[in-house]
Amino acid sequence: MKLIVAVLKPFKLDDVKEVLKNIGVQGMTLTEAQGFGRQRGHTEVYRGAEYEVDFVPKIRIEVLVDDAQTDEVVDAIVSSAATGKIGDGKVWVVPVETVVRVRTGERGSEAL
Amino acid sequence: MLHLIGATVPVPYQSYINTGDNTWQITAATFVGLMSLPGLAVLYASIVPKKWAVNVMAMMFAGFSLVLIAWVLWSYKMGFGATSIGGGVHVINGVDTQTQEVGVGWVKHFFENFVGKPGGITNSVGEEGQAISAANTAIPFHFPTSSLAYFQFVFAAITPLLFMGSVLGRIKFSAWCLLVPLWSTFVYGVDAFLLWGGGYFAQEGALDFSGGYVIHMSAGVSGFVAAWVLGPRLLRDRQHALPNNLVMAGVGAGILWLGWNGFNGGDPYYAGSSMAAAVVNTNLATGTGVVVWMALDAWLSKEKKPTFLGGVNGMICGLVGITPCAGWVNGRGAIAVGAICTCIVWIAWNYLSKVRPFSKVDDALGVIYTHGIAGFFGGMLLGIFGDPNMLEYGCGHLNTAGQVINTTQLTYQTAHGTCVPFGVNGLMYTGSAHQLWEQFRAAVWVIFWSALVTFILMKLIGLVLRGARYKDEILEIGDLAIHGEEAFPEETFAMRSDGAFASASEAPAIASDPAPPGSS
Repeated sequence: MKLIVAVLKPFKLDDVKEVLKNIGVQGMTLTEAQGFGRQRGHTEVYRGAEYEVDFVPKIRIEVLVDDAQTDEVVDAIVSSAATGKIGDGKVWVVPVETVVRVRTGERGSEAL
Repeated sequence: MLHLIGATVPVPYQSYINTGDNTWQITAATFVGLMSLPGLAVLYASIVPKKWAVNVMAMMFAGFSLVLIAWVLWSYKMGFGATSIGGGVHVINGVDTQTQEVGVGWVKHFFENFVGKPGGITNSVGEEGQAISAANTAIPFHFPTSSLAYFQFVFAAITPLLFMGSVLGRIKFSAWCLLVPLWSTFVYGVDAFLLWGGGYFAQEGALDFSGGYVIHMSAGVSGFVAAWVLGPRLLRDRQHALPNNLVMAGVGAGILWLGWNGFNGGDPYYAGSSMAAAVVNTNLATGTGVVVWMALDAWLSKEKKPTFLGGVNGMICGLVGITPCAGWVNGRGAIAVGAICTCIVWIAWNYLSKVRPFSKVDDALGVIYTHGIAGFFGGMLLGIFGDPNMLEYGCGHLNTAGQVINTTQLTYQTAHGTCVPFGVNGLMYTGSAHQLWEQFRAAVWVIFWSALVTFILMKLIGLVLRGARYKDEILEIGDLAIHGEEAFPEETFAMRSDGAFASASEAPAIASDPAPPGSS
């Protein structure tokens, strides 16, 4: 099993969610996040004073998948979230030792 | 409407009362009260970092309450009582009037007409008797002392609340609670008497329609001096001074603007044409201020963006600038006052703030600019744009049925004695700079007195409380350290620790549903 983590532009969320639903992903966890990469921050002005804001709003999506489905899901996220502009975000995959469904106690792939 | 039927029908109020005037006075006063609570409280609490929002609200509500108590017990009469401490009162046309004794030099004249005798207004006569003032108004007041005292209270209350913007983020709550009634007594009481209560500057001819000097310039200067004595906020608070909620700031600012209809509209004391004109002029200057500041931001600032809080600054510049002139300039004058004050404050805000002493004093919300500088120039511009044909008092009298009949000045004088329709002779209309000079003298006094007394009070409070500012450990935390409250608490992370509802059986039963922990 794998945990796929994607940090993306917030306005791409709907596209990504639709694509993942269409390829049979059962669930995901979503967090509003702040981050910076090559896109860097922006400037805000309050009462004439400029504030450098290093972080820009991002969404962080986490999806648990079977090993076999990993590439398909990663590709789906990448293709649906890409705009080709700087700041599109990143997707990374980490191995998962085990997963337990809290309601039933099922373990492993059963719990996905 | 009862009294329109005829004089023989009993009416439930004294003969001196005009229900229109009385109703408007209390309505206007309530509008002005709303400018403080919640207007200014919400505006200031929203544009400070969120760790200071509760402290701002607490100081606002406490300050408002403290001024009210001091006001009815002693300080109303200091500003608006019938007699002065120095004893410059003479009866003119049957009214106690502060006047200059013949042959008295200016020093004696000044101190005879410096401040009213402190005294309470809490007895039945004090609250329900006809309002009087040492200023000899052209027409007797048509409402009781309660109406005048409450109307003037909300002005007295908002003034220290305005300059809280300079000292927030480090002043001790206890220091604030001492400063407000003391400042209200020794600065506001004196300036109100001198300019409004018939004191020296009023007799000399200086004018302040609703408080460009007595309120706004005084607040700006006092805040600046208090901020200087207190020292700056924490470096981190200055570097990260982001507003916590611009939408709520908009709500507070909007209440402030529309509340100003009572601020300037209530000051003629009679619900006549000057009241209505003052309301229109107030809004004209304010709208101009908003547009001008945003335009300057969009064209001349580094960011080239029209900012919302800039618009709020412009709004305040317009409101403050028109306050000393409201009913005495015409509509074109109001637009000019709004535009000029906003331009001057915009330049000061962006450039003067980088020059000593302004760069060295942490006036947290910039009260010296939007209130101090705008108030000063508003008062001076009255000397230029004052239109002698904008009359504060029309001349009319009541017929036997209690209806107001407008008459010419001459007819009125024949029948009822004096009625002086009052207008201001501005430089632009009369070519005379006399009013400008009187405005300038009063401005210099208000700046001097506000700065001096605030300095002394802050030093005294610092001695009594062993420092008027919190220690850095408290400043780092803010609201939670001072009040034990947060503006935006997270209920998920908090549970009652006092044992209430500790077990399910103690919790109040709501049908079959167990009560959630922490509910009461």
